Amino acid sequence: MTIQPADFDLAAGLLQWGKAMLSVISIFLGVALVAAVTASGKKGLFTVLDGLIRTVRDFASLSPRRVLAISRLTFKEAVRRKALLVFVVFAVLFMFASWFLTGESHRPGAQMKVYVTFVLTAVSWLVLPVMLLLSCWGLPEDIRLRSLHTVVTKPVRRNEVVLGRILGFSAVGTLILVVMSVTGFVWVQRQVSDETDLTCRVPVYGELSFLDRLGVPTEKGVNVGDIIETRSFIEGGTNATAIWKFPIASQPDELRLESRFEAFRTWKGDMEQTLRVQFSLVNEATGLKVPLPNTVNIAEFSTNEVIVNKTLTYKDNITGKDVTVDVYQDLTTDGTLQIHVQCLDRNQYLGMSQGDFFIRLADRSFATGYFKAVAGIWLLIMLVVILSVTASCFVKGPVASLLVFSLIIIGQFFHPFMAKILNENPEEKLKGGGTFESIYRLVRHMNETTALPEGFLTNTIKAVDGALVNCLWLVQHIIPDLSTFKMAPYVASGFDIPWNGSMLPAIVITLGYVIPCLLIGYFSLSLRELEAK
Amino acid sequence: MSNETEAVIQIRNLSKVYRDFWGRKKVQALKSLSLDIHKGEVFGLLGPNGSGKTTTMKLLLGLLFATEGEIKILGKPASDVSKNERIGYLPEESYLYRFLNAEETLDFYGRLFDIPAAERRKRTDDLIKMVDLDHARRRQLKEYSKGMTRRIGLAQALINNPDLVLLDEPTSGLDPLGTRDMKNLIRKLRDEGKTVVMCSHLLADVQDICDRIAILHAGELKVLGSVEELLKKENSTQILTSKLSPEAVNDVKAVLEKHNATIESIDHPTSSLEDLFHRTVERSIERPGERFVPSGEPKNEPAEETAEAEST
Ligand SMILES: Nc1ncnc2c1ncn2[C@@H]1O[C@H](COP(=O)(O)OP(=O)(O)OP(=O)(O)O)[C@@H](O)[C@H]1O
Ligand SMILES: [Mg+2]
Repeated sequence: MTIQPADFDLAAGLLQWGKAMLSVISIFLGVALVAAVTASGKKGLFTVLDGLIRTVRDFASLSPRRVLAISRLTFKEAVRRKALLVFVVFAVLFMFASWFLTGESHRPGAQMKVYVTFVLTAVSWLVLPVMLLLSCWGLPEDIRLRSLHTVVTKPVRRNEVVLGRILGFSAVGTLILVVMSVTGFVWVQRQVSDETDLTCRVPVYGELSFLDRLGVPTEKGVNVGDIIETRSFIEGGTNATAIWKFPIASQPDELRLESRFEAFRTWKGDMEQTLRVQFSLVNEATGLKVPLPNTVNIAEFSTNEVIVNKTLTYKDNITGKDVTVDVYQDLTTDGTLQIHVQCLDRNQYLGMSQGDFFIRLADRSFATGYFKAVAGIWLLIMLVVILSVTASCFVKGPVASLLVFSLIIIGQFFHPFMAKILNENPEEKLKGGGTFESIYRLVRHMNETTALPEGFLTNTIKAVDGALVNCLWLVQHIIPDLSTFKMAPYVASGFDIPWNGSMLPAIVITLGYVIPCLLIGYFSLSLRELEAK
Repeated sequence: MSNETEAVIQIRNLSKVYRDFWGRKKVQALKSLSLDIHKGEVFGLLGPNGSGKTTTMKLLLGLLFATEGEIKILGKPASDVSKNERIGYLPEESYLYRFLNAEETLDFYGRLFDIPAAERRKRTDDLIKMVDLDHARRRQLKEYSKGMTRRIGLAQALINNPDLVLLDEPTSGLDPLGTRDMKNLIRKLRDEGKTVVMCSHLLADVQDICDRIAILHAGELKVLGSVEELLKKENSTQILTSKLSPEAVNDVKAVLEKHNATIESIDHPTSSLEDLFHRTVERSIERPGERFVPSGEPKNEPAEETAEAEST
């Protein structure tokens, strides 16, 4: 979990959001029009039009005063209904936590990992279900007890009810989260004995490619037979090289390189003797290759740090003279610094993946990373509240809870699966066509690459499959991708949370749900008589 | 009758069918109701249980959607929320937030209107005193008795100083003092030029304070008119005496016969609205489907039987 996720493409995200919104709105409008016209002919058309005008007017005249009044009420309701008892659970959990968590390990960073993971997991597992239940049950109760009747006979628009509820529950969630996370922060600081363990590294990751033992470029190194194939290996004592290309944005006097490689030994050798690694800086354009003065004996299972000074001196192989170069002037081209990694021990292998080697910029404070992760939880709470309140506008509490819960589960785990079906990744293009095409192939015992016979049936099958894919596309874009909200692992492993890869998409996803959810909630409350449902 | 003055509420051919989830018809609660309510009058909506009074009010407020017909309330359609700025509504049962106390309740509803904070606090205070809840202003509504809840419900309906007040059984659950206060309050509202529409089963009270009444039965309008006119009975005389012995009654009969008068009934006196009410409902049950008839007398023509009329 240390690899930088792909940068978030804001423009593309907005475009997809627009596309999804447009699809949903047109489907909704189409259904409404057809229903209205079949029910009452021409008059139905005007009814729909009238409804649209009223919608625009209701949103234009949205009053912050009334929204605030309803959110205050929601907050009071939650407090008086004893939602804050969740603090008791939290307190109990923490009183006993240290029994189970202490004395885990002496490796630096491991202690922090355990505590931070515990705190952030505990906080999210306490806040999220509480908020889900609270906001799924609030509005249906309000309707069932008919207290909402009295409210909507005041000049309150239904969208104000939805928005007020969302804001009120968000306030409750925020309060609970703030108290818990601050407590958790203090607790972590007191538990972790060594202050320096609480780091928040800001990594710059590079692109990784390889040269094989003969010095020929390859995409991957050697696979030593690991089950998990994340790491590629280079063979020691040969030309096998790992090439890292780092983007250089700032120019500090010292570049801190941090690595964590895996050793794979083909012979036992001297167990005390660790593998030796040579780092060199290379300018591909000028052919300049500067080996770092010292080889590094890598410590397995822990991090190695190499400091590269701004100016380097090396002995030229040909002239035998000492030459001094500037890292940024002489070795950086187009803002990219190339670093070659070679293993010096014959017949031993050095394994690495993209996340194992990075430039470590100036550290941020532990608090920064910690509270960024808390912000991630907060965004998730907001999303859960928004979805729950919306769901509770059209179904009762239990159904709403179930609905939102399933959305979260799907959003958490099923996005890669849906993407695979949708053939978004051209490399993994599925063979044999869509649902009906593959059924057809199965029935006719055709193999998956045989061309289908031309004709009406084939066209129909393809059309239906196409429609299904479009539906799935919509579903995929309607259900939030929640994997970006998982920020705790970064902090737990001592890293800062990347803005572009994690924070920004989480914020955008949450914001993206506000308008559509508000619309859905508004229509569910407006198109329905609020008699007990 | 003040037909000339502005109609605050105009109801035309209003029908309401309650349907279940699948759209199947459950009850026809209102049948083709047409009604005008004028500015400044106290209008009483009467009828037995389940006759559609509450349904009418909810339709007026836009809480329910009409199956057919049109409503203009304060010059706006029922679906227009902005009309609520000038309306106060006391629901049949006080549907309030039970975790709030009296002060918070009024403060909350006050915030839903465009009232300056100072004014809101003042009104909250005044209304709490008006409904005699000063001693319980800090207690949560879940601890309130039925009458107390009713009182705070009334206060809530008046927080925006409305021009039109809809009261659904305002006196239910109130003690005699409260009932008297309620009547005085309604009179006061009328004196201030406000329009009051109320449902009630306490006919004596309705007779006391209402200018005009409508009697509904099974969703149909049976009687509509000013209380005074409806209750005027020019061809009968009611004599109230102290209790008579049977012999005395016979003597009185003899005297009346001498003057060519007949005794229609000798009874303990009852309020005449009650009479009208009973007569209307009984006739309506006997002859379902019959339409609006002034003064509760049946029309001579045979009543037109509508196909969907449900006889109970
Ligand atoms: N939510 C509902 N669903 C189905 N039917 C309803 C609903 N509300 C009322 N009704 C029916 O509509 C009819 C009129 O009810 P309404 O509440 O208007 O009567 P009411 O005149 O106010 O009676 P009461 O004097 O008891 O208050 C009744 O037959 C009732 O059963
Ligand atoms: Mg009623």
